[in-house]
Order: sequence, then structure tokens, then C-alpha cells
Amino acid sequence: MDEAPGLSDQYRTASPWPVFIALGIPISELGLLFGLFPLAVGGLLLFGGSVVGILKESGYVTSTIRAVTALAVIFLAFGAGLAFTDIALVTRGYAVIAAAILLVVGGVVFELFVREQRQTF
Amino acid sequence: MEVNGQLALTVLMGVFLIAVAAWLARVEDWRSYTPLAGGGTVGGTAEQYVSEEKPSGVIRWLTTVDHKDIGMLYGAYALVAFAVGGLMVVLMRIELADPSMTLISNTFYNSLLTSHGITMLFLFGTPIIAAFSNYFIPLLIGADDMAFPRINAIAFWLLPPAALLIWAGFFPIPDVIPAQTAWTMYTPLSAGVGSGNQMNAGVDLMLLGLHLSGVSATMGAINFIATIFTERNEKVSWANLDIFSWTILTQSGLILFAFPLLGSAIVMLLLDRNFGTMFFSVDGGAILWQHLFWFFGHPEVYILVLPPMGIVSLVLPRFAGRRLFGFKFVVYSTLAIGVLSFGVWAHHMFATGIDPRLRASFMAVSLAIAIPSAVKTFNWITTMWNGKIRLTTPMLFCIGFVSNFIIGGVTGVFLASIPVDLVLHDTYYVVGHFHYIVMGAIAFAGFAGLYYWFPIYTGRMYQVTLGKWHFWLSMVGTNLTFFAMILLGYGGMPRRYATYLPQFATLHQVATVGALILLVGQIIFVWNFVQSWLEGREVQDGDPWDLADDDLVTAEWTWFERKLETAVTDGGEEETELATDGGQTVDDADAESADDA
Ligand code: HEM
Ligand SMILES: [Cu+2]
Repeated sequence: MDEAPGLSDQYRTASPWPVFIALGIPISELGLLFGLFPLAVGGLLLFGGSVVGILKESGYVTSTIRAVTALAVIFLAFGAGLAFTDIALVTRGYAVIAAAILLVVGGVVFELFVREQRQTF
Repeated sequence: MEVNGQLALTVLMGVFLIAVAAWLARVEDWRSYTPLAGGGTVGGTAEQYVSEEKPSGVIRWLTTVDHKDIGMLYGAYALVAFAVGGLMVVLMRIELADPSMTLISNTFYNSLLTSHGITMLFLFGTPIIAAFSNYFIPLLIGADDMAFPRINAIAFWLLPPAALLIWAGFFPIPDVIPAQTAWTMYTPLSAGVGSGNQMNAGVDLMLLGLHLSGVSATMGAINFIATIFTERNEKVSWANLDIFSWTILTQSGLILFAFPLLGSAIVMLLLDRNFGTMFFSVDGGAILWQHLFWFFGHPEVYILVLPPMGIVSLVLPRFAGRRLFGFKFVVYSTLAIGVLSFGVWAHHMFATGIDPRLRASFMAVSLAIAIPSAVKTFNWITTMWNGKIRLTTPMLFCIGFVSNFIIGGVTGVFLASIPVDLVLHDTYYVVGHFHYIVMGAIAFAGFAGLYYWFPIYTGRMYQVTLGKWHFWLSMVGTNLTFFAMILLGYGGMPRRYATYLPQFATLHQVATVGALILLVGQIIFVWNFVQSWLEGREVQDGDPWDLADDDLVTAEWTWFERKLETAVTDGGEEETELATDGGQTVDDADAESADDA
């Protein structure tokens, strides 16, 4: 597998990511609106992971870690806003923060193990 | 119990995410083993795509970012939604065959009413337009694909979850009931205030779904604007850009300004419902909702009607044997409608007691917007005048469009006049008015496009006789149903009721019969569509409508011709002239008349 999977300068007509981005949005919205912690975290992970995947695939970013971190910072800010300000939606805020942390962890794991393995093919 | 639920959800979510990751790993493997296929999408054949660049089977459809595939997905989605919304209203019309409550309960009627409206406008109307624009705009303007193919796919895939959320109330989920707010979602009812049952989570789910469909439409609009501005072939200038692309460009502009506003208003409403804000419950809140909603809502009706007008402006001249009369003015009137449509929203609020001076100004602009609409109508009629009319099925639907649009438009002008509106507001007259346009015009143009381009996207021809049956049943059904509604409105029958006074029975029964005729017509359509797709006569000729005889070939047919040729000879690619529909003057059509294919 080459360094940047998917689109380099070749144009492809298939991508696995759009479906999951589109699923991640409603799942996280449902989780956040109704205060369902697992749905919120899972949906945001799905959304965040897929966004990074699609950005990587289309060559807009080169480093998975940096993209994941950038997204996590945005999530963190949003989550902190929900949890620690007058808005005081504490559970929902923590859900977003949890998603941010898990996203970074996931990114690191991918970078250290999964990608390595693939390159040996 | 609480904890158990959370635990179950966590496990479910975890399993789901792992499944996704595993699936992705497989897809990525597939991708890494696939040799890089040759570049762009122009000139290749469908067969080549499948074997060289796309996986096969379901995965192909789940992962595709090809504008033509996405167009097909939009089309399939829209037709399913049309069937769902249509069956909902058949139930309602049967209930209305007699004055009292018989078949379904009043609350169920209200639920169906709400879902029918939202389904038809957001899950059928917008997507069926996107089906045509995704498939054909890149072909018409000579682009490889959309500017952002992946965003395009995201926009589509947001729609299935949106539909599930909007219909969630009908599914057997404990404690969730369908929304009964009508498609306008007026507060305080939709804010869940009072003793009603609209505080139910079903309304929240519906609002989320609606929000999602708005996000999808906005993404699509940005994509079309970028595509039409930046991806045109160098031979396609603004001066000869085809009419359908013009209407999509204008529509996308309207979406860009209207839908985010709906999105924000919906979020505010959700906050009111769930987090104790008071946007719409303070003094004036109800009027605030109506302003926000209709500032979106009126442009929305033009978002829905402009591209169908574009389809008619494209298709109708092909079967009149001449170019569109007054092409430039059709473009100008499109742009004029686009601008004016943001200045008329309060004509939906004439009866709310807003300041009379405001009311008068909205009346003036509403009357003014009829002018560009009329310009278009006259241009269509003049195009046909002394033309060499071929009454093919798509042409019949175009003529039906013009005819129904005239009735819908003229009734609209009457509504735009304050004194008339104060009498007719919230009666069946309004329902008749807008159905002449949404069913009689928008859906008709959709059918015109489906039949006209059938050879391109299926490679086959539909059955002509069944097409004619479909048209005539639709035309008769539409006019019976909705003219009866206009008369009901004159008689004072209020809209949105499951029951009525016996004096209205006859006209209601006429409307019900009309709806059943429509149903029969659509069943014939489905049969024709599916059977012809599977078994229809294969099209050998890249110009099945004999457009070349009148020098009226457009770029998508040139593309189709080339595709058929390469499928046979697998020859090299040659640059072909792009034939556009733009800016040329009318010249006398003199070629032979071809018969209906
Ligand atoms: C010729 C231009 C038009 C004028 C002057 C016009 C005028 C009006 C007016 C004044 C109303 C409000 C009636 C009331 O509630 O009392 C109305 C309702 C409506 N019109 Fe039109 N209209 C026009 C064209 C259209 C078009 C092209 C569409 C659809 C694509 C459309 C769709 C609607 C809808 C959906 C409603 C009802 C909204 C509701 O209350 O649920 N109209 N129209
Ligand atoms: Cu309006």
C-alpha cells in the first residue's frame, strides 16, 4: 500500500468514507440531543475518524496524527464549552471530551501499529 | 434499568464501531490491491468503470463518488420517498371520502398530513432534482465530475438517515409517536407547549431529520456552485451555458441563503423543546417562528420549481423542433425570480395581524414575482407556436407542466392580493394552488426528465403506450383532485382537517376519485419503469430522439453516443464538439418530423 492511500494524483471513483461521515453526524446528534452518552461518543468517533480518513485519502492532509489532533482540539473546546460554562450540559460535555480523547488515542494506535503492518505487505 | 440501558447502548455502539473498522480495513485492502485505474471519467464506458475503478455489487453503490452513480442513488431514493408520501396521502384521501371519522383516527390523519408534506418536499422534491443535476450537469458543461465528488457522496448519504428520523414516529418504538405539527411546524404547538402530545420525542426526531436533509441540500448547493463556476469545459462560456445549468445555479444560490436559516431555526426550536431556552415562547415568539420559517419557506418553493422549469426549458424545445424562444429572457427571469423570492415571504402571514404597511409591500413584491414567471410561460408557449410538435411522453409531460403551472400561478396571484387572501387563507384553495405547482408542475417535469433521459441511464427505451397512459391518468387525476380543492376553498372548507361538514362531501369525493386515478397512473409508471429497465428494447442509436434532424443535440447525448461507440469499438477518444443550448437565435426548423420512439 502506498503512503497516501486513495487519491494521489490519480482520480478514483470510489471512497469508503462518505457513508460513515453521513452516519456519524446523525448518531452523534441523537446522542447529544437526548443525552445518550455512548451514542454521542460513538457517533463523534465515527464522524471524526471518517473525516480524517477522507482528508487523508484526498490528499488534503498528510499526517494522520496532526489531523486527528486538530479535530480533537475542536471537540475539546466544544465539549469544555458545554461542560464548564453556564450552559452546564455536563454529561454531554464530557461525552464530547471523551470522544476527543479517544480520537487521539485511536489516531496514535493507527499510526503506531496498523499503518506499520500494512507497509510490510 | 437506566444503567443497563446505557451499558447495552455502549456495547452496541462499540460492536458497531469495530464492525465499521473491520469493514474499512477490508475495503482499504481491496483498494491497495487494485491497480490504479486510468484517470478521469470522460470517455470511459460504464463497463470499464465497474471492472477497473469500482468494486462490484452493493459495495460499489456504498462507496461510489461518481456523479452519475450518485445521481442514480438520488433518483432511486426520491422515487421511494414519492411512493411513501403518495401512499400516505392515498390513506388520507380515502378517509376524506366521507365526512366523519371512519378509517383512521384524527390524530393519525394529522401525523400522515405532517409526514406527507415533509416527505414530498424534502425527501422527494429536492432529491429528484438532485438526481438530474448530479447526473447531467457535469455532462452538460463538459466536466469530469463534480468539483467535490466526496462531498457529493456525503450529501447523498445524509438523506437515508434523514428519512428514517423523519418517519421514526411511525416505527414501533416505545413512547415515540409521529409529529403532528404540519410541515410548517408553527409554534407554540411544535414547541410542545400546552396539553397536547407534541412534546413527544417523535417531534425531536423529525426535526433532526429535517435538519439533516437541510445540511445535505446545502452541501449539494455549494458543490454545484463550485462545479458550474470552475469545472466548465473551455468551450462552455456563460453566454452559451445551457438553461438547466442556469436554473441549478440559481437554485443553489437560493439554497445557500435559505437552508442554513431553516437549520438555525430548527436548532432554536430543539433548544426550546429540550434545554429550556425561550426563543419562541416569549411574547412575539410565534410570529418570530413564522418569519424565520417563511423566510426559508418561500425561497424553498422556488428552490423546488426553478430546476423543473429548467428541465422543461431544455426538453420542450427538442420536441417543438426549434430552439427555446427568448433564451436570454428565460435566464434573466430565472435570476429575477431568484432575487425576488426572498422578498415575498410574509404573503404567508397576511392573516397574522402584522403591520398593514409591511403587508402591502409584501403584496407588491408577490404580485411582481408573477411577471418573470409569466415571461417563462409565454416563452414556452411561443417556442411551441408553429413548431413541429412531437407528442412524445416527455413532451406531453412538459405541456402538462405548462398547463398546470398556469393554473397554479394564476391562483397564486389571487392569493398574493391581501383582501382575497384574508378570505381564502387556510382553506383548501391554498392547498389546490400549491399542489397545481408541486404535483402538476414539479412532479410532471420530473417525469418528463425521467422519460426523456431514460435511454441514457438505462440504455433501453420505455414502453410508449404505458408512458402515454401514465401521462393522461396523471393529468386527469391532478386536475380532478386539485380543481376540486380550489372549489372547496371557495366554499370555505378549511385545510388540515380529518373531518368536515356534509355540504363539502361531493367535492371531497371528487378529489378522492382524482387521487385514486393518480394512484393507478403511478402504478403503471412503476411497472413501465422497472420492466423496461430490465427488459426494454436496447437503444443502439446515440440520438434516440432524432434531435440531430433539427440540430438540437445537447452535450449529454453526444456523450451517450460516444459511450455507445466506445462500447462497440473500444476506440480511442476523440474530442467532440460540445453542443449547448445557449444564447442562439431562433431559426426555422425544417427537418423531417420523427415519430415517437
Ligand atoms: C406566481 C407566483 C406565486 C404567487 C404570487 C404565490 C402566492 C402565494 C400566496 C400568497 C400563498 C399564501 C396563501 C395562504 O396561506 O393564505 C401561497 C401559498 C403557497 N404557495 Fe404560492 N405563489 C406563487 C407560486 C408558487 C410556486 C411556484 C410554488 C411552489 C413551487 C408555490 C407554493 C406554495 C405553497 C407550498 C404554499 C402553501 C404554504 C402553506 O401554507 O403550507 N407557490 N402562494
Ligand atoms: Cu410563498
